Amino acid sequence: MGRQSTGLLFILPAMIVLAMLIAYPVFYTGYLSATDAKGALTIKNYANVLRPAVTTQAFINLIYFVGGSIVFQVVLGTAAAILLNLEFTGRSLLRSITLIPWVVPGIVAATTWAWMFHTEFGIINYMLTGSGVIPAPISWLTNRDTVMPVLIAINVWKLFPFVAIMVLAGLQAIPADLYEAAKLDGANFWQEVRFVTLPQVWPVITAVTLLLVIWGLNSITIIYAITGGGPANRTLITPIQIFKLAFESFQFNQAAALSVIFFVVAAIIVAIYLKMQAMSAREAR
Amino acid sequence: MNRSVPATIIIAVASIVLVLVCLFPFAWMALSSIKALPELYTVPPHWLPDAPTIANYVKVIFNSNIPRYFMNSVIISVGSTLLALILAIFASYGFARFDFRGKPFFQTFVLVGQLLPTAAIIVPLFITLRYLHLVNTYWGLILVYMIITLPLSVWMLTSYFKAIPIELEEAAIVDGASRLGILFRITLPLSTPGLVAVLVYAFVTTWNEFIFALCFATDSSVKTLPIGLAEFSTEFNTDWGGVMAASMVMTVPIALLFLFFQNLFVGGLTAGATKG
Repeated sequence: MGRQSTGLLFILPAMIVLAMLIAYPVFYTGYLSATDAKGALTIKNYANVLRPAVTTQAFINLIYFVGGSIVFQVVLGTAAAILLNLEFTGRSLLRSITLIPWVVPGIVAATTWAWMFHTEFGIINYMLTGSGVIPAPISWLTNRDTVMPVLIAINVWKLFPFVAIMVLAGLQAIPADLYEAAKLDGANFWQEVRFVTLPQVWPVITAVTLLLVIWGLNSITIIYAITGGGPANRTLITPIQIFKLAFESFQFNQAAALSVIFFVVAAIIVAIYLKMQAMSAREAR
Repeated sequence: MNRSVPATIIIAVASIVLVLVCLFPFAWMALSSIKALPELYTVPPHWLPDAPTIANYVKVIFNSNIPRYFMNSVIISVGSTLLALILAIFASYGFARFDFRGKPFFQTFVLVGQLLPTAAIIVPLFITLRYLHLVNTYWGLILVYMIITLPLSVWMLTSYFKAIPIELEEAAIVDGASRLGILFRITLPLSTPGLVAVLVYAFVTTWNEFIFALCFATDSSVKTLPIGLAEFSTEFNTDWGGVMAASMVMTVPIALLFLFFQNLFVGGLTAGATKG
């Protein structure tokens, strides 16, 4: 219904704003990355930004951080959703409480966890030494081996509630007769989870995973606020490297070159993901 | 519902673990915010404060930049949310009710906006804002937050508008109503839950946003709360009592807003994500 041009008029204002804020910057990043400070064409920026070992390390750190986070976010989020889908007293209160980590601003989560992981005065070291789990306090955030797992744990805490509510919505859309049929066939709880629940919520889980990948590739707040990329670049990830190149070293052209590489890699990851999802959807049919 | 005893115990234990995991950091933040300095730096730490004090809050509210940043956050979040909502209403209505040339292209464009890594466009955005003299202005931040909130808002609202029976609008057209009249008198009132969901989503997102604010607001006249908090905690000697009090000031309003509108918000988000 309606004329051709009317619909276009409706979407135009939003499209202009998005073109200005997304399309233009994307093209401008490409231009910056291929020019030097005087505006002459060059590929030096790419060479300069790819050469240092720190670029590779930042990318490996990013994969480690995003991959590690997503595994636990999806597993814990799904488990929480299955729990919240059961009927018991206090379920709606539990659901509200589960959302809290997600609503707490990222920077607040970062500072609160940093305080809890404080080497001397932190509650976590106190609980762990007091119960005899560890013999002496650990400097979680400055120790090269513990810092990344700790940051992953914080990131998991922050986002598993999001997985939980999305999967919960998927669970509630499952027709009750599927469970009744499984019961008649004599399925126990785990068989129900394995053969009824998981296949039914799989599309939701894959959609959520894609969002988590994108957010993961974007994540700066928690890591930047807690470690700033340290110690010794152990937690430096590509987005933080771009930020530091641009706003601490003022190497805008090199930062743009790294942005383009990052953008291409992110696009490839998303494309592979969508491709795999399309393939698994076809197999399911 | 009848359930065996072991199953009940498993549910109870799992619930308690879930509550502890989700609530403990928040509770520790609240407890730390009412402890005096000497007590914060006690080994071993005290679970409950011996002498609760509001000194940290007094300091944050009367002796810091936090109230100023709070106002900045309110102005920027409200401005950006309203602008995003208005743009999203028109765009979503266009997508939901019209067929026009290039529609798939524009819809893909909105989707790509959601998928784009923000770190990848931060540099040109900064240069663009500097060129337009919008660095360190409310308008600069209000505009850049559109990148984050507008795509998902359009997505969520489109599915809401599509769910409204088209017959209602057709009847109004027969009665001679204009397109805009239909949108404002029929479609919008019927999609109030969707509008609230988008409103809460956009507000929470802009309120919590950190990295754009860090890049585009370097002057204290426009800095937002997340930046204020980061400054509080990265000074050489971190005042943890103050940081925790400031964290409470920043978190409680947004948590209340969110919990109040929880159902609408969760409904809107899942509708947007699963129905596309």
